[in-house]
Amino acid sequence: MSYLSLENVVKTFNKTEVVKKLSLDIQKGELVSFLGPSGCGKTTTLNMIAGFLEVDGGKIEVDGKPVHLLPPYKREMGMVFQNYALFPHMTVFDNVAYGLKLRKVPKTEISKRVLEALEMVRLDGYEKRYPKELSGGQQQRVSLARALVIKPKVLLLDEPLSNLDAKLRQEMREEIVEIQKQVGITTIFVTHDQEEALAISDRIAVMYEGRIEQVDDPASIYNHPKTDFVSQFIGEVNHIQGKVLETYENKKCKMHFFGNEQIVSVPSVKNSEVHFFIRPEKIQIALAESDESFQTRVERKMFLGAKTRYILKVQDRHLIADISNTVINPTEIKEGNSVYTYWNPEDLLPSRMAR
Amino acid sequence: MSRKLPKYFFNFVCLLVYIFLLAPIVVVLLSSLTTTEYIVFPPEGLTLRWYTELIEHPEFMQSFTLSIIVALGTAIIATAIGTLASLAFVRRQFKGKTAIVQLVGSPLLIPSVVFGVALLQFYSWIGLAASPLALILGHIILTVPFVMRLVVASLVGFDRSIEQAALNLGAGPMKVFFQITLPIIKSGVIAGAIFAFITSFDDLTVALFIVSTDVVTLPVRIYTYMQYQYDPIITSVSSIMILFTVVLMLIIERVLGVGKVFSSKN
Repeated sequence: MSYLSLENVVKTFNKTEVVKKLSLDIQKGELVSFLGPSGCGKTTTLNMIAGFLEVDGGKIEVDGKPVHLLPPYKREMGMVFQNYALFPHMTVFDNVAYGLKLRKVPKTEISKRVLEALEMVRLDGYEKRYPKELSGGQQQRVSLARALVIKPKVLLLDEPLSNLDAKLRQEMREEIVEIQKQVGITTIFVTHDQEEALAISDRIAVMYEGRIEQVDDPASIYNHPKTDFVSQFIGEVNHIQGKVLETYENKKCKMHFFGNEQIVSVPSVKNSEVHFFIRPEKIQIALAESDESFQTRVERKMFLGAKTRYILKVQDRHLIADISNTVINPTEIKEGNSVYTYWNPEDLLPSRMAR
Repeated sequence: MSRKLPKYFFNFVCLLVYIFLLAPIVVVLLSSLTTTEYIVFPPEGLTLRWYTELIEHPEFMQSFTLSIIVALGTAIIATAIGTLASLAFVRRQFKGKTAIVQLVGSPLLIPSVVFGVALLQFYSWIGLAASPLALILGHIILTVPFVMRLVVASLVGFDRSIEQAALNLGAGPMKVFFQITLPIIKSGVIAGAIFAFITSFDDLTVALFIVSTDVVTLPVRIYTYMQYQYDPIITSVSSIMILFTVVLMLIIERVLGVGKVFSSKN
């Protein structure tokens, strides 16, 4: 039984459908990320779950009960906003206590729960400060405490880390996951940052143009993208185009590309064109030639710390290869050198692209 | 290119401007202490006679009370209307919005004499006699644009996700307005109310057309008195008006901090 379910949810702005019959089931205690470029409908969907936007079709259920017709103040959801949205005229304590006061919780219990919540986000001792006296990271922690203290049914996080600097972001995201697992709360995390989504999610819903392209655990999303959009949006890819020389049974074929031949598993028709993606870190290079390799020229070389990025030219195409510096010492390869490039055919991601 | 002027020159200019602005007030205050039967500056001798003599003119006290009632009424109603209108103006899109905003703001552009005549005509047409209500209505029209200016300024850049956060935590729309929105734009609203109060308390031109023999605001009373007599009672009444305004500002400063109110930042 899913805890939060979206069923054929539709949102239209000025006659354009920005969310198109979106369906998704989320289990209790699960952390699901909505990941996608800006304008993909992820924030719109979140706002419909929170109740700030009305659905134009479909339904939203929490714990088996429909909520899409309730106003936001009756949905019992906790939301954390990108720009913190703390009440500037209230102290940290009053900010966190606000939801409890509205629920007419007795005073002694309010102060107990507020202090517990602040302790959980490691802000005990900050009760009397005002939001403007806190750093961005601290403000976001108050915002998290404020959302969690009312024990909401679902926690909604709207790009909560995008206003923080890089290092703080990483710290905060680990903290959020830790708290989320500790509380065991069903959570939706909206982000446009794929690394963030990969790092924290139980499952990722990759969104594009108002649709969910794929919902899966992070490893499956990265290693087995189901659509071209997912392949290209998550991580980087090189596009490979080849010609089918021969087809075999068991859905395999021999493909010709860059003057090389390789047997790959993809159903196809003889003489047709096939397209693949390959991730930069799956491309290998060697100084000596082998059966599977083809010759490329190093156009540019970028040292990136643990790895080095090589821009390789073959025929009139460019390939990006990321090679760990422990595998090949970058000083051995100079720009303009020829290297032999190869990959494991299993690392090719089939593409439906027809360019 | 831009050579900096010496600091003392800048201070000197500031001083001149302050003297120019404050001199009339000082003149009025000091002339109210003169022992002569006529207004003179610098005062000749020192006496509080003109203040005690006010007791023999209860009409000044009446007018003072009326002016305060009218100013208070104007401030409260104009602030309520102006605040709500500002919310609609900043947050809603509706047909004819620009036209309505121009219309509401037009009293700022029309000379107050013209406005006074128009009001007189209109009141006699609808049969509204001179009364505190008539004065308040006229002053509301006059002061709503001021209130709107100030409240709109405090609403621009208002982060609406703060209101969403309150809704999300379980506050209904009314609670959100009174517990979240209003406290945040408080400074603009209070500044608007002060402006409305002082504009109404100060107004001569418009009131001149509306007052009757029983309903006379203090500025009108001073003005009409001056047409027949020119004794220092005028200056003592004026001094009381000035002191009243100063006391008002001090109270507001004490309670809220004027700097805070007029900076429109929290």
